[in-house]
Parts: sequence; structure tokens; C-alpha cells
Amino acid sequence: MDVVDLARLQFAGTTSIHWLFVILTLGLVPLVAITHTAAVLSRDQERKAKLLRATRFWGQLYVVNYALGIVTGLVMEFQFGLGWSGLGKVAGNVIGAPIALETLIAFFAESTFLGMWIFGWGRLRPALHATLIWLVALTAYASAYFILVANGFMQHPVGHEMRDGIAYLTDLGAVMTNPSALLALAHVTVAALMTGAMFVAGVSAYRYLKGDREFFRGWLRWGTVAGAVLSIAVYEVGALQYPLLGRTQPSKLAAAEGGGFVALAHDVMVYLGYTINTITAIAAILVFFRWAVRWVAWLTVVIVPLPFVASLGGWLFREVGRQPWVVYGELTVDQAVSHVSTATMWTSLIAFMAVLLALAIANWWLIVRFVRRGPDGVHIGQEEQWA
Amino acid sequence: MSMEMVWLVLMGLVLGGYFVLGGYDYGTQMLYPLIGRDERGRRVVRAALGPFFFGNEVWLIAFAGVLFGAFPRLEGTLISGLYPLFLLLLLGLVVGKAAVQLRSRARNAQVWDVLIVAGGLIAAVGWGLVVGVLLHGVPYGTDGVVTLGWSDVVNPFVVMSGVSNVLLLGGHGAVFLTLRGSGDIVERARRLARPLLLGAIAAVALTTALSGGTAVTRPTVAFILVAALVVALTIAVLLVARNRSGWAFAATSLAALLPVPLVGAGMYPYFLTSGEGGLTVSQGAADHTTLMTLLPFGLVLVPVIAVYQAWSWWLFRGRVGPTTPTYF
Repeated sequence: MDVVDLARLQFAGTTSIHWLFVILTLGLVPLVAITHTAAVLSRDQERKAKLLRATRFWGQLYVVNYALGIVTGLVMEFQFGLGWSGLGKVAGNVIGAPIALETLIAFFAESTFLGMWIFGWGRLRPALHATLIWLVALTAYASAYFILVANGFMQHPVGHEMRDGIAYLTDLGAVMTNPSALLALAHVTVAALMTGAMFVAGVSAYRYLKGDREFFRGWLRWGTVAGAVLSIAVYEVGALQYPLLGRTQPSKLAAAEGGGFVALAHDVMVYLGYTINTITAIAAILVFFRWAVRWVAWLTVVIVPLPFVASLGGWLFREVGRQPWVVYGELTVDQAVSHVSTATMWTSLIAFMAVLLALAIANWWLIVRFVRRGPDGVHIGQEEQWA
Repeated sequence: MSMEMVWLVLMGLVLGGYFVLGGYDYGTQMLYPLIGRDERGRRVVRAALGPFFFGNEVWLIAFAGVLFGAFPRLEGTLISGLYPLFLLLLLGLVVGKAAVQLRSRARNAQVWDVLIVAGGLIAAVGWGLVVGVLLHGVPYGTDGVVTLGWSDVVNPFVVMSGVSNVLLLGGHGAVFLTLRGSGDIVERARRLARPLLLGAIAAVALTTALSGGTAVTRPTVAFILVAALVVALTIAVLLVARNRSGWAFAATSLAALLPVPLVGAGMYPYFLTSGEGGLTVSQGAADHTTLMTLLPFGLVLVPVIAVYQAWSWWLFRGRVGPTTPTYF
């Protein structure tokens, strides 16, 4: 493999692992925010206690995922400079802006306020405490928006002009309202929410099977129904992108039907999507009418990984499908790749993959551990932790 | 002031914020087994990093973001040019961050303790080397590509820059723990702070003595900034001896921050130079339209960030003890 292949593999690997954290973060944070708010607003003390318990349980799983995910984001932020120095040189005038705005507007606030939320139990006024998690949720989605604006420019470059081989920003509004970015944001948003719902359903089903029925019955029902409804939305919103592809990236659309890797990635997304549609719809109906609940519960646990795999298929379709372009029609991967030796690139590829995979494994190991311990084993919000 | 200068200062503020805040994290990580002698003590040291651990790291991510937005031509050249150093830094950061957070949940405590220390040490050495390499001069080719050789890193000046940063951030972390810890943690941190800070002064002096032949374009400015660094460290030593932890931390914070203007002003008008020719600030900067478009955001957001982070420090101020929550 040459440097371009290695750099592409490194970017694909780091982004994919990062994404597995991101999709769950985006999927869980609105749920934590809504549950926390409902708890704060609730006047019935018993209901309030129950909702706070749920907030801490789901919040714990969310925090584990965020805390380990943030370090994968650190690696991501440097990938452009490490592997693709030509991108900054050619398109930096345009693509750098959303990246800079993402860090200053969104990421800063998200990390700071989440730190305050995690350690704020028993220290902050409840209304303020719940407001913090809403700020975290808003800025998480703002991050997704800015990143997709940068990615949207690479798919469908707008709002700029090329002079002497360098892109110059002419219309920030056009860059920020790029249909390629907005449609992807809508698709990613519903996909993340569906992933969150299926995660909640799977975790609740597991606890239900372990005998924790009273607390998790409602969450199981909620998760399966939301998963079923959202999976239809993922399909509908995703399909809106095909006409845009036809106009802006006809070669990608052709590749989706042409066999080969791009078609495979596309099919993984689509057929797993159909599978999720079908299973969640059946599960929702069965759970709602309380038929064969044990059987459905097991099924719900087993399908938790499916949306993660499907979304990776979607990303690979979107990214590999525009090859050989980094910025569609304007900058190829060969032009953009950094002047780095093959040996260096091999070293970094292996090192990053080893560390990031270890993080992903540690993440799921820890999530499973907290799920097995249940709401009584939650760490956040506990006062006396050292006995 | 030109548009590039405004952005240079804003980027310097963000990187400086990271050097101060990330710096005490790394210092604390390096001293972690020395100051936290038993399980209980180690827990207190981890708790000291507490609610600010994410917020500190974001300053680095924001630096990378601002670098990409305002100085995109520098971004690619710098990070790919110093590829091995940034690889090392990122691995150190990732391992250290993950270890601090996972340690409480892990079974093999000793392995995680080693990773916590290694992560802090690699980050401190790595940033010292980056600053050293930039000041020493990078081989900037006519094609605008930087290709780092062994001799660009393994030379007395650059190695001493790495050593200086380890001692400086070690001292910074120790002073942080005198401010944030409780009980015997404070006492041990205070005893360690003095030799570390004195060692940092000696290391900085030695590095300066080795600075002949470096690519520094404005030696007078550079010497003034180095002198300020030594003064800040000396004041910190005196304040630690008088138990004035808050002011001592302010002094070590200033010392941790000064390498940023040292590179920014000492090398001006260059970012990257081997001594003759190189990439200047205006060549590295984004187009005027982009800088202008981003400017209101930069001017408003950087102070806003400082305010809400300050609010977070205020809310979680005070000393931590054995019952203070840690991650997970």
C-alpha cells in the first residue's frame, strides 16, 4: 500500500471508531436531558425519585461513552493536519471556518457544561443542573451540524471560488446552508435518536430479563416504540438525499448500483435498515400488547449493534463513494495527501488503531458492567463513594 | 493591528489557555504516584483533576480548530511536518486521559497508574520538544514542505526544552495540588514543588545557554520572555515557601503560558523557519475574507468561553478530599 492508501485507511479507521462513540452520545443526550427535566419539574415525590434514578442510570451510560469518546475526538481533530496537509492549503479558507466555529461555539461549551453536570449532583440548584444538560445536548447537535458543513463542502463545494488552485470563501451563508450538509444532518439526527432508542430498549430488555421488571418495563416499551417510529424516519429522510446525489454526485449514485465496495457499503446500510424497520415494528407491537415479552426482550438485546453497523455502512458509502476526490471535483486524495513516508504512516496507522480500538472495547466493557449492576450501581450523583 | 495579528493573538490565547490548564493536568499526572502514596491518596489526586478534566483538553481541540480556520496553510505544514512528535503527543494524551478516567473502575490498578504517569510525561516532553524544535528551526524546503530529521529533534537545545517543560509542568502540577488537595497531599506537593521549580529554572537557563544558532528571529524579545519565565518561577518558589498557594499557582501558570508568546513573538514574522526563509504568519493565514468573517465569532466567543469556564472553576472551587467524586 502507498501513502495515499494508508492515509485513507487511517482517516477511515479513526473516523469510524470516533463515530461509534458519537452516534450513541447524540442518541442518548436528549433522553437524559428530557428525563432530568421531567424529574426536576415533577411534584410527586415518588415519581421524582424514580425519574432521578433513571436520569442517573442513563446519564451514567452516556457519560462513560462521552468520556472515552472525547479522546477519540482529540485524535480526529489532528487527522486533517497529519494525513491531509493539502486540504488546508487548498480548501482551508472555506473548510477551516466551520471547523473553527465547531470548536469555539459547540465543543467548548459541551465539554465544560458536561463536566459541571457530572459533578454537579447535590451541589447545584436542580433547575440550573438540568439546564446544563440541555446546553450539552444543544451543543452536541451544533457540533454535528458544523462538522457536517465541513463534510458537506467536501461532497458538494459551494459558496467559494477557485483562483490559482486555491479556494476562496465568497458566501458563508451558502456554505452553512449547503443542502448536502443539511440533509445529512437530518439523516444523522434521526439515525442517532433511533440508535439511542434501540440502545435504551436493549438495555431495558436485559434488565427486564434479569428480573428488574418494575423499573424497566416502561423504558422497554418506550424504547421499542420510539425505535420503530424513528427507523421509518431514518429511511424517509435518508431517501431525500438520492435526488441531491443525482444532481451533485452522479458517480456516487452510479457506484451504489455498480457492485464493488461502494455498493456493498450502501447495501449494508439499506438492508440493515430494512431489518431494523421490521424487527423494531414487530417488537413494538408485541411489547405494547404484552405478547411473548421474554422472547421479544432477547431479540431487542441482540439487535443493539445493528444501527451502529448500518451507520458505518452509510458513512463508507458517503465517503468512499466520492473517490478519488477529497473536495468533489476540485481536489483529489493524491493531491491532498501529506508528504510523509510510508513507514511513518504505517506506524501511526497501527498505533492509532490499537489505541482507539482499545478505547472502544473499554467503552463497551464498561457500559456492559454498568448495565449489569443496574440503577443501584450507578456512580454519578453518589455522595459518599469512599467507604 | 492587521487581521492576521488579531488572529495570531487569539490563537495564542487559546494555546496559552491549554498550556496552563492542560499543563497542570500533565504535571499532576506525572507526580501522581509520588504525591498519592497509598490508594486513598491516589484517589484524592485523581479527584483533584475532577470536573475540569474535559474542559482543559478542549483548549487544545479549540487551538487545532482555530489553527485550521485562521491559519490553514500553517496547519497542514506544521502538523504533517512534525508528524512523529504530534503522533507521540496524541498517543500520550489519549492514553493518559483514558487512564485517569478508567482507573477507578479497573482491576489492574498498577497498570493504569503507569499509564496515567506515562501519559502526563509524554505530553509534557512532547510539547517541550515541539516548542524546542520550532525555536531551533525546522528544515523548511523550497516546496513548502517540512521533513523532520533525527538531528532536528535529538540535539542539546531541543532535548533541554523537553526537560525544561517536564520540570516546569511538574512544578505547576505540584503547586496546583497544594491549592486543590487536602491533608498530607498538600504537604507532599509543597515539598516536591520547590526542587521541581528550582530544577525548571536551571533547565530553562541551560536551554537558553544552548540557544546559539537557533532560528529565533528576535533574540531580544525572546530573552525578555525567557527572563520573565525565570522570574515567574522564582516568585513561585518564594510564594510556595510562604504557603501562598493561590498566588504561586498564578506564577506557575504564567510560566507555563510563556512558551506560547516565546514562539509567536520570538520567531515573528515567521511561524516555521530554518533561519533563512520559511513560512510567515501572513503566508500561513487564511484569506482576508475568511479572517474577517470569523473575526466577530473569535472576538465574542473567546471571552465568553473564558467566562463560563471561570464560572465552572468558581462553582467547583475548594479542596478535594477522599469522598470527592471521581469519574465513573
